[in-house]
Amino acid sequence: MNLVPFRVIVLHPKALLLEWEQEPSDQLLEKLLGFKRLLQNQDEVTRCTMGYKSLMIHLSEKATSLSKVKALLYKRYNTLEITEFQSGVHWKIPVCYEETHAPDLVTLAQALNKSPEEVIQLHTAATYRVCFIGFLPGFLYLSGLNPELFLARKEKPLLKVPKGAVAIGGKQTGIYPNESPGGWHLIGKTPLSFFDPKKIPPCFAQAGDWISFEPINSKAYLKIQEELISGKFKISPHG
Amino acid sequence: MVEIIQQGLYTSIQDLGRFEYQEYGVPLSGALDQQAFRMGNQLLNNPLKAAALECSFKGPKVRFHQETCIVLTGADMQARLNNTPLKNYIPTKVMEGDVLNLGTAFNGCRTYLNIAGGFKTEKVLGSRSQYMGITKEERINKKVLLPIGTSTFDPEKGAHIHSPNFDYKKPTLEVFAGPEFHLLKKDQKDQLLKKILSLSELNNRMAFRLKEKIQHKLPQIWTAPVLPGTLQCTPDGTLIILMRDAQVTGGYPRLLQLTDDALERLAQKKTNDEIRFKLLPSLE
Repeated sequence: MNLVPFRVIVLHPKALLLEWEQEPSDQLLEKLLGFKRLLQNQDEVTRCTMGYKSLMIHLSEKATSLSKVKALLYKRYNTLEITEFQSGVHWKIPVCYEETHAPDLVTLAQALNKSPEEVIQLHTAATYRVCFIGFLPGFLYLSGLNPELFLARKEKPLLKVPKGAVAIGGKQTGIYPNESPGGWHLIGKTPLSFFDPKKIPPCFAQAGDWISFEPINSKAYLKIQEELISGKFKISPHG
Repeated sequence: MVEIIQQGLYTSIQDLGRFEYQEYGVPLSGALDQQAFRMGNQLLNNPLKAAALECSFKGPKVRFHQETCIVLTGADMQARLNNTPLKNYIPTKVMEGDVLNLGTAFNGCRTYLNIAGGFKTEKVLGSRSQYMGITKEERINKKVLLPIGTSTFDPEKGAHIHSPNFDYKKPTLEVFAGPEFHLLKKDQKDQLLKKILSLSELNNRMAFRLKEKIQHKLPQIWTAPVLPGTLQCTPDGTLIILMRDAQVTGGYPRLLQLTDDALERLAQKKTNDEIRFKLLPSLE
């Protein structure tokens, strides 16, 4: 019998869900990423998708027996413990926190008993980890928000949150990759595009990468926006 | 080219779907009734991924700008080709200038118009399936001209099948237990599995909501990958079945997982239609 720290749920004849018991952590994320990379090279697997503490494994036509696939998962997981982990790249995201781009900054700061400057300082001081992408195409689930910035979502979601809005909702912070409805507090905006269906892959970031926010003024925001259109500005990983 | 004279109630280009980019949050998409869609392509000797028009509830009126072959599958929309009734599942030659008019669906609610060579609209991230923010248009508008592919198909020599007589009203949908199903109490399981349930008016390509709710105190889960056909339960007990345009991750407890066949049957149901889940033994 192989001992593994996850339960295997056969959700569908072609999809297995692996769920870990432990709470999400950087250590767990590294394991998920490492296991995902390893499984994607198996003939029995077409692709893997991720959650905070789960992996969905989509099986290929070569996976003829579920018990064999399960045995393979246990065997591969136990070889994973000794492999080296990759750590992802670091992206610095320019964010304008000025009032025109941050309609909820003042109310969020008041609710947290802080000044807007303190909120910006705390939000830009942290480095966030991309756990996975979901909700909307290009929406990064980030961990690492300072607990001092936790604030319950708005009671009434906005019907139209603009593309690029940087927001806080509950224990999370994130960037809206496209205009959409949303209930998070909008504290800034980035001119960068987090989802471009004309590019392959369509997002520059991926699970396991690191994100930090750099404050810019509205003049710099406009400049980057123009340079993105002319092709002069290209996002590249930091350091 | 095929000209859209009237677009119908909700018509979109669909194919098998967009498989490669779910890790970037891209929904699967693709024809809701995959079985009907695939059958259309088989009848025309098309590649299985050739794109078709998915017509919902009330179909479009289209004019063909070139000679080609078409077939209709899925729901019966009382189609007329130049005022002559056209039956589903029969590949038919159309001439330049012919007009096809689809009416209101009466058995099922989604009809596929497959065309020899497939529709050749823009392909984005490996698929022509329309989806907001990925393709330029999220559905078909009137007055557009849709390019089509080439094919040597001849309806005289093509595959023939007996028109499959689907009873789309049959309420039974087969399901597997979802990851949180075992946390339900017996009476909650009974509510889900022994009662006739029904579709609310909130049903679209992303998700179908049921009218019935179940009272529960299930814990929220950490956001995890979901599939089309996953039945989720919100904190207020609303039951939501994810369809092919659904988000790739979800944070609500997952009670059931529909089989592919059940998902395709569900795609042919509309507001107020009855459904009844039948639990299959687990696949272990």
